[in-house]
Amino acid sequence: MPKSATNQHIASLYHFLAQCMHYPDPQWMNEDFFNILYQLLETLGAASEGKEIENTLAQSSDPIEELQIEYTRLFINGFPHVVAPPYASVYMDQSIQGGFALKTLNFYRAKGFLMEESADLPDNLIHELEFLSLLAEEADFEGEEEFLSTLFRPWYKQFCPRVAQETRHPFYRMVVTLIDSFTKEEEEDGFQLNKA
Amino acid sequence: MAFNLTRRKFLQTASLVAAAVPLSKVAYAQPGVAKVSLEPKGTMGDTTVVGGLCEMCFWRCQLIGKVRDGQLMKLEGNPKSIDNGTSICARGNAGVKLLYDVDRLKYPLKNVGQRGAPIWKRISWQEALDECGSKLKAIVEKHGPQGICVFPHGASAKYPMHYFERTVGTHNVSEASFFQCRGIRDVAYVATTGKAPGEFVDMANTKVIFLIGSHLGENIHVSHIKAYIKGLQNGAKLVVADPRYSAAAAKSDIWVQIKPGTDTAYLLAIMNYLVTNKKYDKKFVAEHTAGFDKFSAAISEWTLDKAAKECDIPAAQIKEVAELLAANAPHVAIHPGRHVSWYGNDFQRERALACLTGILGAYYVKGGWVPPKNPKLGKTSWAQQEHGDEHNLNVSHDKKVHPFNPPGTPTELIRDCAISGKPYPIKGCVIWGQNPMQTIPNQEKMKQVFKAMDFVMCVDVMPTDATMWADILLPESSYLERHDEIKAGTGRIKADDKEPTQFIAPRMPLVAPMFERKDQVYITNEIAKRMGHAKDIPVQTLEELVDKTLATANITLASVKAEGGIHLQPGQSGYGVPEDFMVQLFSEEIAAAGFPGAPTYIAIEEVPAGFARLLYGRAPVHTFNRSQNNVWLNQQMPDNPVWLNDEVAAKIGLKDGDIVGFINSEGVRSRTTTTVKVTPGIRKDAVYMYHGYGSANPLMSTGVGKGVDDTSLITKIAIDPESGCHGMRNNFVKLTKDGKVLDIPA
Ligand code: SF4
Repeated sequence: MPKSATNQHIASLYHFLAQCMHYPDPQWMNEDFFNILYQLLETLGAASEGKEIENTLAQSSDPIEELQIEYTRLFINGFPHVVAPPYASVYMDQSIQGGFALKTLNFYRAKGFLMEESADLPDNLIHELEFLSLLAEEADFEGEEEFLSTLFRPWYKQFCPRVAQETRHPFYRMVVTLIDSFTKEEEEDGFQLNKA
Repeated sequence: MAFNLTRRKFLQTASLVAAAVPLSKVAYAQPGVAKVSLEPKGTMGDTTVVGGLCEMCFWRCQLIGKVRDGQLMKLEGNPKSIDNGTSICARGNAGVKLLYDVDRLKYPLKNVGQRGAPIWKRISWQEALDECGSKLKAIVEKHGPQGICVFPHGASAKYPMHYFERTVGTHNVSEASFFQCRGIRDVAYVATTGKAPGEFVDMANTKVIFLIGSHLGENIHVSHIKAYIKGLQNGAKLVVADPRYSAAAAKSDIWVQIKPGTDTAYLLAIMNYLVTNKKYDKKFVAEHTAGFDKFSAAISEWTLDKAAKECDIPAAQIKEVAELLAANAPHVAIHPGRHVSWYGNDFQRERALACLTGILGAYYVKGGWVPPKNPKLGKTSWAQQEHGDEHNLNVSHDKKVHPFNPPGTPTELIRDCAISGKPYPIKGCVIWGQNPMQTIPNQEKMKQVFKAMDFVMCVDVMPTDATMWADILLPESSYLERHDEIKAGTGRIKADDKEPTQFIAPRMPLVAPMFERKDQVYITNEIAKRMGHAKDIPVQTLEELVDKTLATANITLASVKAEGGIHLQPGQSGYGVPEDFMVQLFSEEIAAAGFPGAPTYIAIEEVPAGFARLLYGRAPVHTFNRSQNNVWLNQQMPDNPVWLNDEVAAKIGLKDGDIVGFINSEGVRSRTTTTVKVTPGIRKDAVYMYHGYGSANPLMSTGVGKGVDDTSLITKIAIDPESGCHGMRNNFVKLTKDGKVLDIPA
């Protein structure tokens, strides 16, 4: 398939969003990263959201640790309750590594992709965004649409409001909303609020 | 939010955005999805993986896993098994749901909040291990090895437990399986017969199955239940003493609805009847028992009438049971029980069971107590080192406080020392697979222990009510994801085989561990290195540990795997009394230690007016609190209704299904409520519920707050003086409804 600049740009946006969902670590979550993020938000007409993140970070004595704590609470083992594990199966099968994870893996395979040894589960949000990035790179729009509508949106629309409502940090509210906007069909109904 | 755009509009601006923003400058992680150069494969298909060993309970049924693309789809009994065969129980099946439980621990966590009200932060293994190693080392340097206490449970806890006991050198280790469960049984039988009894009753071939409180059927261990059912099918009579109409009572020929806590009096009356009426096994008594005269004299006060009054059962029924046993002896299965830490007088009851088996001559005979001749395997672990008794809390002035304690130190001695700092400070706590909040009575006291610590570390597969108290919480690979534990036993390939066959089944992983879960050898070794014990490390990996152990039977993991996960070899029958086998009917050793030399009934506290005794037991689809978050099992039995006598219910205006809470005689209220099960099948002076419900940890999204946590109501502590183990059925409750406290009528 022809590779156009637009494809590449869409691919790099997916890739960037995937990176945002990694565990915060100063290795990548550094000044450069935040500057790029603020520029991106500004271009999207969301400069004030960028400012809000910047202010929150500036107020903290250890902003990365604060993000790590929030990431743990939201996505790993929070107290009193993990908010939203970033795995499709959790929403579709009430399980880690349920049938939905397998369906997702089979979709990757059918498109000629596989999971690296070091990878997390196939239905992890990060990998789904990476996969979407790779499809975009190949200009496989059909595949992208099919993946979004059958395997991504069904769970993501449950996941996103949980995070957006429960998070105490503007960074994660921004990231999940950005992903939401980037993957949501116009005609899609507003998402169901599904309290954790 | 300003960028709440639709996808289409977003895409239209994508080029603009990407062109304006240097996205490529981000330090990206290596992607987890990659293009395959070859033709993409379809699904990898289904495989059957052998070598599983269940640990949804401790029975260790042998499993195979049906695996699709690395995902465990289903567990089944291993067709090669001569133990559980192809059968597994509901809990065994639900292991899949433990493996993939959403709430399972995934990464090392550090508590940056407070113990009991944690704020978790994911940290690296390096950081977690450094923290555990340095904190524990600092405690040992300041307070000595005795400054660390350990609460282990399960197969994976053995290796770290040996490290802390043998290499670090603390005596302060308390295993729930001993001090809150079966320890009393083991030490009482050892003191009486020299052998821990297991559950080695030959029920399949017996004529009478005699149970005290054992609720087989609700308490399910596959091969044990198979033998029980086979015995009943073969016409064995079943005698069940239980204040409650349990699943076993429902199948019984004689249901002895005994008053709680009086079982020893019942046993003494049976034995006294057998002795006075010369209905005991004279030959066995002459050849294999000691102290018969003193024993007979000591129990002679226990006439049928006296016991009938004490136990609140008809004298004629005791006589009927005694006659039934005498008529069928020696082919009678006097079950030693398993969870026996009930009233704080339990050593004596277990002694009485061992002696009753003795005077009936029911050791090593068909249908009696018959220990299997299992394969001999060497043990590989940390080397034993001598640490002296100076800091052994169970030794005072060169005398043992509880002389017949199971291995480790009685829990209450550890807790008292940790809280008071006397005779020495205990400042570090290692919890490995145990949930002391829901296994050890008096939760407030446990909290005080945690609060007194400088450092608490927990290793588990799931969050529990105890993990909330950790400073560092480490995720362990589950029994389906690792090697370890070797189940060795004896069975028959075909039911009518003359000679038994031995089997050896080492646990093998059915799937690879996910996330950053690690096994016990890795975690322990890394901590040991940081505590200065690198040179003492016995094995580098869990696989090596298992292989070294298997080498003692001339087999390897690889050879067993090739055999289908279970190695079989010829066995020997367990029948035939060894010449030197002796039953101490009157034990001079016990008498010399200052306790009754003959089994003795010690009365327990009566139920105060207005209260009922709180009894608890097992649910067939749960293993205590360990399985309360399991989605499948929770669906089977989401809460634990409280059994209430129908006449009592009528008097206090409760009906089946009403929602109630509890308040105990010490003023402790249950955190949650449950439903009432109104039934004539329980005595008026007791209520009953299944144990292991009502978790307080919201991290267990399925189990939290479902049913009532019976342990939270067990605040009065009884200690069995001989063994130092807990008695947990000496607590009294009233029910509450809509905020009103309801007195239980007499
Ligand atoms: S009895 Fe059930 S839970 Fe226990 S080991 Fe066997 S299958 Fe597993």
